[in-house]
Amino acid sequence: MTITRFARLLDTFGADLRRWPAEEAAKARHLLAGSDEAQALLRRAALLDAALRDSRASPDTAALERMRAHVAQHVARRPLPHPPGRLLWLRPLLPFGGGALAALALCGIWLIFAAPFAGDDTFNAPRQIAMIESTD
Amino acid sequence: MFLSLFHDAAPPARIEPAIAPRAETPATLLRDRAVAADEVLIVWSAAGDRLAFDQLALRHLPRLYRLAHRITHDAAAAEDVAQEAMLRAWQAASRFDPARASFGTWLHRIAANLAIDRARQAGRTAAAPGEDLAAPGPDPEQQAARRQQRTLVTAALAEMPARQRAALALFYDQEMEGAQAAALLSISTRALEGLLRRARRFLGQRLLGGE
Repeated sequence: MTITRFARLLDTFGADLRRWPAEEAAKARHLLAGSDEAQALLRRAALLDAALRDSRASPDTAALERMRAHVAQHVARRPLPHPPGRLLWLRPLLPFGGGALAALALCGIWLIFAAPFAGDDTFNAPRQIAMIESTD
Repeated sequence: MFLSLFHDAAPPARIEPAIAPRAETPATLLRDRAVAADEVLIVWSAAGDRLAFDQLALRHLPRLYRLAHRITHDAAAAEDVAQEAMLRAWQAASRFDPARASFGTWLHRIAANLAIDRARQAGRTAAAPGEDLAAPGPDPEQQAARRQQRTLVTAALAEMPARQRAALALFYDQEMEGAQAAALLSISTRALEGLLRRARRFLGQRLLGGE
């Protein structure tokens, strides 16, 4: 393993070699045994790991109790989880958008077979104008 | 006679709960929720066992909070995200499929997505430095140094994209395997490694200087 490769893996997996892929970790240990530069890189990565660990936030007891109570209250008010239902097998087809296609097909069929609009001369334009004028 | 007035008085009206408690069957009463596995608890929850779900909340809320806090950098937002993730898990309990993922992975996926959305909506670039962090050591100089380091880490994290923070949170804070963290973020393992590498390099430059 080269120093460059070692530095790249350190940047990815951190200084704890137990979290590395086993094969790479074995090669890294071999490199570390004979390279001061590799050891310096490992120390630097360990500092970064420690800084990350130290900056972790944990909820205090009050916050935990608050969250737990909030969840319990809402769960008590909400209905039971939705049962899967008989149409569960259709779920993989959801991204297909079949509903939209079916609606489109229905609209098309309706447009083809619907009777043309029969104009209602009871309220044609001249009659409406006459009605408006008669109110003035 | 005075006492008899109290004896004769009608008992105070009992306050009924808003929702009538479910009549529990003996099998439900016998459940040992404290030792049951997550996957068992969620199946019980899907059947309406709210106490089983409370046990899940007790187990997972701290980790959800830590994950959400790392991504959002906001204590209040982290609380909201952790709660909302649990409530969504309740609603979707019957759809949980243990063959596809463990309950923890499923729940963390919900929380990570919520937290990333929240962080993006907030467009957060600055956070209160060192908020909600563990108590520092007794030495004042050490305390000051750690505070300064946390401030630097917090500032650097706040400048990162939410997905890089999520990758750090899952791989380092939650100590997930790379493949698991990648699946949770719906990306490839290679993409996760890229996120981790960029995030650590950025942090390294900010904290330790150099390349």
